[in-house]
Amino acid sequence: MLQYIEQIFTHLNGWGLPVIMLLIGITEFAFGLYENHWTKNERILDIVCFVVPKIVVKPFIAYVGLLLLPTLLPNAKNIFAWVPFWWGFAIIAVGDDLTQYWYHRLHHQLPWLWRFHRTHHSAPYMGMAMASRQNIIYTIFFSQIYLTTTLVYLGLGYPVLFVTGIKALITTGAHSSIKWDKPFYTNKWLKPAGWVLERFISTPATHHAHHADSDDDGVGHYKGNFGNMFFLWDVIFGTGIITRQYPSGYGIKHYKQEEWYAQFLWPIFKSRKEGSELAPNGPMVGDAVPLEKEIVNRGLLTESIV
Amino acid sequence: MKTDKVTQQKIIRDVLISLVLYALPVILMLLSFKITGQRPWKKITATTVNKNV
Repeated sequence: MLQYIEQIFTHLNGWGLPVIMLLIGITEFAFGLYENHWTKNERILDIVCFVVPKIVVKPFIAYVGLLLLPTLLPNAKNIFAWVPFWWGFAIIAVGDDLTQYWYHRLHHQLPWLWRFHRTHHSAPYMGMAMASRQNIIYTIFFSQIYLTTTLVYLGLGYPVLFVTGIKALITTGAHSSIKWDKPFYTNKWLKPAGWVLERFISTPATHHAHHADSDDDGVGHYKGNFGNMFFLWDVIFGTGIITRQYPSGYGIKHYKQEEWYAQFLWPIFKSRKEGSELAPNGPMVGDAVPLEKEIVNRGLLTESIV
Repeated sequence: MKTDKVTQQKIIRDVLISLVLYALPVILMLLSFKITGQRPWKKITATTVNKNV
């Protein structure tokens, strides 16, 4: 039985997860869950973000794990291999996901970091593609990958296999437009489990709220709900809200459908869209621009077009 | 553009709490070893010594 579970997670971390993501994506597309928002620009961006990191980032992480760490820590290989499985599991789960919580939260709370994470929020729809839709700089510096790679080198590779598999399933499920958590809020037998679940891990309801285009309706909460695998961090730090509802709109209000290459490669490539956060002289954070100034800008724009 | 002061203070407070959270599984593991008397790291050493012999 254990060998069977081990095999599942080995395949999940290899070819299994990309296949699951593709199947979910096809299901979402077939059921029209992207509505009419999946334009050519969005399609190219989603596909590039899904494919390129698998070709570029994975080999780089392998380099760190196989060449750099043995040079930096020559005598440390497998020194913690004695750690019992479940303790290793807990150490990795906390170490990996809490680090990602902070990486994510700081990209929202430190204005100079926002534009590296903006691509993940720009889509006016939710779907499995959102899980990998990131600017390349954000992906390369994905801080917890290096922490986890180091822990693998130190001897915690076996628990990592299971933590990363479970985490990938939870985060993909939380981004998906398939609202799998709904029965936990409506079925009276499932409600107690739902209460625990929504506080413990990210669900479509809590994570969709993070992708809302507004927090005026009391459902959207794009300035919080930062948790990835565990929602527990948001509960502990008071950065989360739970409403069991889904926002009416997704994305960012000041989205200008910036070119896919600018969203993927900013600041290497910049947007030509006037007033965009990704344009050479664009604001650092679009929704921080006072409304009056925005209206004046739009007025000037209209005049110049006319 | 700067992060407001309240957010800065919350970040500092939460980072300090996080340090405790990072250490928690390690502390609990060591505590469990102390209670149960387990010494798993010694097993590895013993195996290595036997192999060399």
